[in-house]
Parts: sequence; structure tokens; C-alpha cells
Amino acid sequence: MAADASSAGSAPATQPGGRRDGLWLLVSWIVLSIIGCLLVALVLGPHLPPGAQSSSAASQQTDITVLGTIATPVVVGVLLYLGWALTFWRQQPGDETDAAPIHGHTGIQVTWIVGTAAIVLALAVYGTIELISPAGAGAGEGPQPIWKPAGTTTASLTSWAPNTNNILQVQVIGQQWAWTYRYPQFGGFETTQLMLPVGEPVQFNVTSLDVIHSFWAYTLGVKADANPGLNNVAYTTPEHTGQFQVRCSELCGIWHGSMYDTGDVLSVAAFLTWAQTTKVQLADVTKLLPPYATSYDPTTLNLGKVNAALGLSGAGGGYYNPADPEQP
Amino acid sequence: MSLPARVVTLVVAFLAVVAGGIFVAFEFIGAQPPVENYTPLAKAGQVNVTLMTTAQTTVTNKPDWVSYFIKNPTTGNFDHTTYFSVPANTRVNVTILGYDGCTPLRNPVWGKVAGTLGGVENVSFFNGKTASPAAPLTTFDTWANCSVQHTFAIPGLGINVPIASVTTVAENGALCGTSPCVADDASDALAPHTVVTFSFMTPKTDGTYRWQCFVPCGLGYVDGNGGPMATPGYMMGQMEVQS
Repeated sequence: MAADASSAGSAPATQPGGRRDGLWLLVSWIVLSIIGCLLVALVLGPHLPPGAQSSSAASQQTDITVLGTIATPVVVGVLLYLGWALTFWRQQPGDETDAAPIHGHTGIQVTWIVGTAAIVLALAVYGTIELISPAGAGAGEGPQPIWKPAGTTTASLTSWAPNTNNILQVQVIGQQWAWTYRYPQFGGFETTQLMLPVGEPVQFNVTSLDVIHSFWAYTLGVKADANPGLNNVAYTTPEHTGQFQVRCSELCGIWHGSMYDTGDVLSVAAFLTWAQTTKVQLADVTKLLPPYATSYDPTTLNLGKVNAALGLSGAGGGYYNPADPEQP
Repeated sequence: MSLPARVVTLVVAFLAVVAGGIFVAFEFIGAQPPVENYTPLAKAGQVNVTLMTTAQTTVTNKPDWVSYFIKNPTTGNFDHTTYFSVPANTRVNVTILGYDGCTPLRNPVWGKVAGTLGGVENVSFFNGKTASPAAPLTTFDTWANCSVQHTFAIPGLGINVPIASVTTVAENGALCGTSPCVADDASDALAPHTVVTFSFMTPKTDGTYRWQCFVPCGLGYVDGNGGPMATPGYMMGQMEVQS
């Protein structure tokens, strides 16, 4: 690339001292690119975010490594050409002559267009494959996901066992300003704790009770918007035990920045113990929850007679009457 | 206009804009409610904190906003603030005088007491004439019953306490109309209200923990979570833990 630009007339191919800039640039670019690509792929890559705690996170880390490796020769070429120009093609004192005129070069232009088009199209194909093969790559796929983990179904919404094709359901409910998590296959209890079993595919069903939030389990490589009245499905398979962070990535009000949790990937046995224990502990409030659904509407509730007599028909909210002088 | 005059005008205008920005930042954006300092009052590893909820805030320019008040440990008066400090590794005994009426929760899961010592809150109901003995409660059904007015929740510590409300239509129609409401204990109050008590342990190290109400009580704001729900000094605040 640098050699091509040089031969196009922006710099002489052979300097007065006999130095062949184009050749030196080409050789330097190839050598530095090989070194750079190896460093990015083998040294930096395993440490790139979001890590490898889950299948989707590992997939994203691979993608970022591939993209970084592909970009390395481009970065090396630009920086090498810039450095070469600053070092060797400086204007000499007293030299008032113009630079060599630049003329079009059909070969270079065609090569450039074809080369960049090929790179972009190849990346588009690669990106599409990487979106499909890991079941949406951890991103929210909407209420009817197209890409699902291979070999899984939602065989039962009322029970779950490890090492079956019945995928674990975890409902993520955003509300100002906290996350709660509901486990329909364990009696439908709802808790502020997010626990997952290692090695088992998980289906997150993400929704909201008020404004738009965004569920971002960063090191799990899962990110899905939480929209009121809508289910947004995302998949992953935790592959290592340990804690992970959950944050809201959609500005949702004054305590948006505090809307975070620490989740935990447990062994399957520990997860089952936690789920059964929590199910019992929360039984008294679980029976007060609405039946499990993919979304909820708190504005229209079947309230008791005292609430109804007070004029209440749902949870609070709504705007003032436009004629109300106390409008905010 | 001469060059020096133009320069002076430009500098003065620039300084005026900067001063205006600083004034707005400190006066409006950076202004915070006063902090009630309970730390010096701790004895034998415990400290008592008293709060109040009211259906209005007549002491501010937002009289129709619901609000918390906190008892000033020095004067004994209820101040319009939601910021308080307590010592680390200490049992905090909280009393909340609940003078507001009931509102259903958006999420019934917040109807369960969590994070308190014993997992309970003790509630006494005052109907305007007599107070019931304090009884332990753990769960409230705010959809079936008129039972909760607000919550006191510190998500960072896993604490959630539904503030019980008076339960009848008549009691909800006879709520205290000024703020802070006059009583500082059940026997002095004339308006129907509840007295909620609970305890929790503060962390062993210092830190600032935000607390909020999970009842959508911001009347007139979308989803009930604007206005007083999003303004320090009303239905949200901070607990500063000091070591």
C-alpha cells in the first residue's frame, strides 16, 4: 500500500542517494504487519474484553481478535508511511521547489477499490456467520428469536433439569431503579439475585415495568434492551464459574448509574440448591406475583375493593390533566 | 468601538456566562439536602433513626409532592431531607411514621420485607383514636389490599421495607394535610397513620448508599417515577456510613 502510493508520484521511487523508498516501505510493512498480527492474535487477543466466561463472550472475544488482527496491517501501513514521510521526505532548508505532480493511476485505484471492497464484504460475511452460529451472539433478538442454541427447546416452563434439551429460562425485569430476576421453572419466584448454572444454556427473557432499560451482563457477553410490554430474548451458556457484573446500559433516570448487580455462575449442584432454597424462602411473596408472562402491564390491575373505592385501577404514574395548574 | 473596548466587552461577557454557569451548577444542580448526622448518637453499637412520610410537602414550592422527612437528632424537629449518616458496623433501629395513603406497587415483589434483622418489620396502626399494638409483618399484598404507602429500600444492602399504610377508605380520606405532620410518636398524632419499626446492620466499612421508594408515587409523572421519586430530599436519598 505504502509502496503503491509512493510509486503514484507522491514521492520519488528512488531517492538521490539511491535509496528505493517503495521497496523499503513494502518490506518494512510486511515484516511489521506479520509481527503485529502475531502479537494481536496470540498475545493481546486472549486478554481482550469481554473475556471468555460464557459462549457468547468467548465468541465476541474471538470476533474482536479477528477484527483487530485484520486491522493491524492497515494501522501499521498508515503509521509506517507517516513516519517514513516525516523522517525522509522533509523539505530541506532552502528548497523552494514544488513537489512532484500527482497523476492518476488506474491500477492503484482499481486495486484499492477492489481490495477494500473485498475486505468489507468478507467482514460482512464473517460478521453474519458469527451472529448466527452462537445463537445471536448474546444480543437481544426480540420476542421471536431466529437463532437459538442448537439442541435446545422450551419443553417445559414449569420444571428444569440439567443436561436436558429444556433450556433454563431466566426472566430479567428492569424497573426504576433495580433489576429483578424471575425463574418460572422453579415456581416462578422473583429475586434480586442472578444465579446461573455453569455449562447449561440459558434463555434470558428481558422486559421492563416502566421505561426502557438495557440488560448488560458484560462479561457474559449478553446485552438486550428491556422494553415495557415486550419480551426480548437473548441466549448464552456460562462456561466458567465466578461472578459477573450486570449494568443498565440505557439511560433510564436519575439512578441509572446505580442500576447494577453482581451475578454468579455456580456449579449445577450449587445452582439447584440455591434455586430450591430461594423458592421456599420467597414462597409467601411468590404467590402475590402475577402469573408468569413474557411482559407485564402494571397500569391495569385487578385491585381489591378498598383500592378500587379509592379510585385506584393500577399502579401509580400517568401524566397530569393538561388543565391541571400543577403540571411539572 | 475601539479594540480595547471590544476586548473588555468580550472578557466581561465571557466572565458573566461563566459566573452564570457556576451559579446554576451550585444553586440548582449541585444543591443537596442537609445531612442529619446520627453518628455521634450511637451507643452500645446501636443508633435510633426516625423518618416520616407525608402525602404533601407544604414546606417547599412543590406542595403536592409526597416526601420523606428525617428527625433532626439535635432539635427533635422533622427536617425536609432524605440524607442521613450513621456509624459503620452498627445496628440501626429505624422508626418510620407513615402519614400517607396506600398506592399499589408496580412490582409486588417489593411487598416483601428483606434485609432487616429477623426479616420483619413491626407495624402499629393508628386510626385517629387508638393505636394497635405493634405486630411483626413480613409480606404485603398491595394489589388485593390497601396496605402499603411507600417503601424504604437500600438496594446496595439488599434492604427493602414496605411502609405499611392505613387500610380503610375513611382513614385514607383523613390523612394529615400539612408537612411535616405534627406527631413524633403514635400517641401524639391525630391523623391516621402507621408506625413502622425495623432494624438493620450497617456495613463494617464506610460508604454512601442510596435509598429509594419503589412505590410509583410521583403523581403526574410518567410511570410515577419522576418528580419526587427522582429528586433528592423527597422520595430518594442517601445513607452515609461513617467508620
